[in-house]
Amino acid sequence: MRIEKCWFCSSAVYPGHGIQFVRNDAKIFRFCRSKCHKNFKMKRNPRKVKWTKAYRRLHGKDMTQDSTFEFERKRNRPERYDRNVTENTLKAIKTIDKVRSRREAKHIERRKKGKKGQLMREAVKELEQSINLVKAPAVLSEDPSLTLPKIMVKASQPQESQRMEE
Amino acid sequence: MAAGLASKWSRVGRSLLGGLGNNLSNLLNTSLEMACNNSLSQQRTFIQMRTVLKVVDNSGAKKVMCIQALKGKKGARLGDTIVASVKEAHPNGKVKKGKVVYGVVVRAAMQRGRCDGSEVKFDDNAVVLVDKQGQPIGTRVFGPVPHELRKKKHVKILTLAGHIA
Repeated sequence: MRIEKCWFCSSAVYPGHGIQFVRNDAKIFRFCRSKCHKNFKMKRNPRKVKWTKAYRRLHGKDMTQDSTFEFERKRNRPERYDRNVTENTLKAIKTIDKVRSRREAKHIERRKKGKKGQLMREAVKELEQSINLVKAPAVLSEDPSLTLPKIMVKASQPQESQRMEE
Repeated sequence: MAAGLASKWSRVGRSLLGGLGNNLSNLLNTSLEMACNNSLSQQRTFIQMRTVLKVVDNSGAKKVMCIQALKGKKGARLGDTIVASVKEAHPNGKVKKGKVVYGVVVRAAMQRGRCDGSEVKFDDNAVVLVDKQGQPIGTRVFGPVPHELRKKKHVKILTLAGHIA
């Protein structure tokens, strides 16, 4: 028993679901449901259909490169049954899944947050460094509104030095 | 645009009604609808009398027409045997045109349920010619074959096949 991937939407095809289409060049297409199958018959390219995983990965909406994807590679060699190995694998699947979904959610959150923070930081930097392109330094010293407000910090050191001199 | 079309149809309808009566206009509408529906979804069915199948071995025949589906009231499916008549053949082959042969269906456009619950379907209808005992006449088989043949005891065809789906 193997959980296949739908050719069109890349979702999991569990046993008992879906249709397998074998083309005459012996390429097998597996579909999870009739929606994907009908889209395939219409000759639609999954990379252009917005709700498929192929489109989302291609357009950077979903995470593409991560170490958690290495664990889920297709292995064609059946392993000899070992109870400990099976138990550990089942535990590992759970944790890897949790980690992967957490990372994917973070990726989407980062994407949704936008570039507002970065743009603000860049604007502040530019204002500090290259204000001389816009205004002459003499004018800046006269008019304090053109520069960023300088925060006054109380320093106690000069009093000590006076005492020492005395 | 829809209103304009509707008015056109009503004019046509009225003229027809004036000439011939209600029935003709109704029939025309329903036949148009049926034509649209058929072109959208192709319903694949069994292999029955008069079905033309492709021959995918090197027995000499190219196209074969089913005469009878042995076993099955509605027709033959993937993995069944049929009796067929050779309609098209290679000029120098073991089988000549017009001969009545037996064949095993190795590819069917109609989906067949597998024991795990999934369904398989192929691109076309294809057959491998066999003799009365079930041994293939040709020595090579082209294209993919399903492993439903193993249950039907057509092991020889599986061994000759290049790819098992």
